[in-house]
Amino acid sequence: MTMNGDAVKVVPVRHYGRWVAAGFALLIVAMLIHTLFSKLPTGHFACQVVNGVRKCHPDLTWRFSWTIVGQYFTTSEILHGLVRTLELTIFAMVVGIVLGMTLAIMRLSPNRVLSTAAWTYTWFFRGTPVLVQLLVWYNIAILYPVLSIGIPFTPSSWALVHITTTTLFSAFAAAVIAFGLNEAAYMSEIARAGLIAVDEGQVEAAISLGMTRRQSLRYVVLPQAMRVIVPPTGNEVISMLKTTSLAGFVGVVELLGAASNIYGGNYEIMPLLIVASLWYLIVTTILSIGQFYLERHFAKGALRSPPPTPTQRLRRDVRGILRKFRTQRGPLEAVR
Amino acid sequence: MSEAMVEVHAVHKSYNGIEVLRGVDLTVARGEVTCLIGPSGSGKSTLLRCINHLEKHDAGELRVDGDLVGYEMRGGKLHERNDKQICAERARIGMVFQRFNLFQHLTVLENITIGQIKVKGVSPEAAKSKARELLARVGLENKESQYPSQISGGQQQRVAIARALAMEPKLMLFDEPTSALDPELVGEVLDVMKDLARSGMTMVVVTHEMNFAKEVANTVYFLDAGVIEESGDPREVLTAPKSERLRSFLSKVL
Repeated sequence: MTMNGDAVKVVPVRHYGRWVAAGFALLIVAMLIHTLFSKLPTGHFACQVVNGVRKCHPDLTWRFSWTIVGQYFTTSEILHGLVRTLELTIFAMVVGIVLGMTLAIMRLSPNRVLSTAAWTYTWFFRGTPVLVQLLVWYNIAILYPVLSIGIPFTPSSWALVHITTTTLFSAFAAAVIAFGLNEAAYMSEIARAGLIAVDEGQVEAAISLGMTRRQSLRYVVLPQAMRVIVPPTGNEVISMLKTTSLAGFVGVVELLGAASNIYGGNYEIMPLLIVASLWYLIVTTILSIGQFYLERHFAKGALRSPPPTPTQRLRRDVRGILRKFRTQRGPLEAVR
Repeated sequence: MSEAMVEVHAVHKSYNGIEVLRGVDLTVARGEVTCLIGPSGSGKSTLLRCINHLEKHDAGELRVDGDLVGYEMRGGKLHERNDKQICAERARIGMVFQRFNLFQHLTVLENITIGQIKVKGVSPEAAKSKARELLARVGLENKESQYPSQISGGQQQRVAIARALAMEPKLMLFDEPTSALDPELVGEVLDVMKDLARSGMTMVVVTHEMNFAKEVANTVYFLDAGVIEESGDPREVLTAPKSERLRSFLSKVL
């Protein structure tokens, strides 16, 4: 803007309220960091003699026992537990996603038997606690001591294959089945929302090209539904990662189970809970990054330009700040 | 083989008890352009969708290229065809929609190749070269790697026409192809359609573009409340309408 040919300085609005709130938030962050790295007296005293005078001061140790956390962070027990946790998460999610997709497609079927069956499944598995389901699957041998493969509604003596249930259902298998079947109920709702979100016209265009229902689902509807399905599914994976800690109830030594086994012996409860929490946080962080790129991939064509990656955004921010800096410095340099 | 490409005889169609088509008769000769005009809700789009079997008609006879649409005559009974047969029929009938309905997750080129590859089993290479040929024909050779959301409505509709032509249809159906376009983009789509008509394609066009109908159509049908009210040569029907309804309709749209 110019006035009488001279550049007129623009004064931006000052957001005092925002600054106060930001200051307050910074204060809380500082307090949190401080307390995380604060120290407690151990009850012992360290004494030394300086110039013939004996001086004592209380011995201090980390409040959050960082030394012990460090000691246990990468012990083989914890790492084995972590691997179990990851295995449980992956297997349960695979079961959940595959079955959930199937249920969603059944739910949208014009056949009433199929859609009602899918609805009932979701009603049951969403309506009971996952811990109860886990305990039921773990104890399924009480109801069915022997599993046989044969013809339905015929005497079991006709069956060809008999398996003792307990040999089939280890604690780990019970956990995968319980978490997977429970997850399928939630995934089916997510997948259904995604399928419904795709415009009816897309299906019409696909079938008017001569595609079958199945082809239009596979090549046209699903790829577009993924844009809606992926973000909540990422959430479900992260949620599942933490739900697997319930497997400890039936004796699977996953991450939290491994930590509790250790603190059961040495009573270092807090440090080991911190070890487990840190690992959960690390895996969650990695999953979130993966989710970002997956979402970006499936957003193809839906947005005129894809959202920037974090590195792109950082570069843009830095460039913006530099430009601001340069324009502010501009007149000064002219004076020089 | 019958002379006509499309034969519609006494076709009825209801939605939830409301009769949308109440006995429609219509014939489209090979290589001719037929325009369907009429007020909204008159059943023009429904008729078009019945020809493609996107909707099942309730009664009457509907033939494309001599074959009954969606049914088969065996032992004096009409048997509903299975999905595979219906899909094979549809693959030879091109359809262009009011809202374009391009596949949003695919590039312009992929929109034109997917039907060839997945339905006709054409090799990806052959499909691509055919798609490029068609893009050149609709004047969009430099847009092949864009996504539909990145091009204008008129360009999207031209891609949609190319997508339908890639299936080498014997009949093209257009459902108000220019109604969702900004006025300055209508011309480019109509030009492509005129070019197609000149090349001898059999076309059925639901439209509000009376000038297009006058210039290109061999026959025009005026639908009102589910019946054909008037039909014939567009220059006669559109300039000297016989029925009162068509007169009042034309006075509103022209």
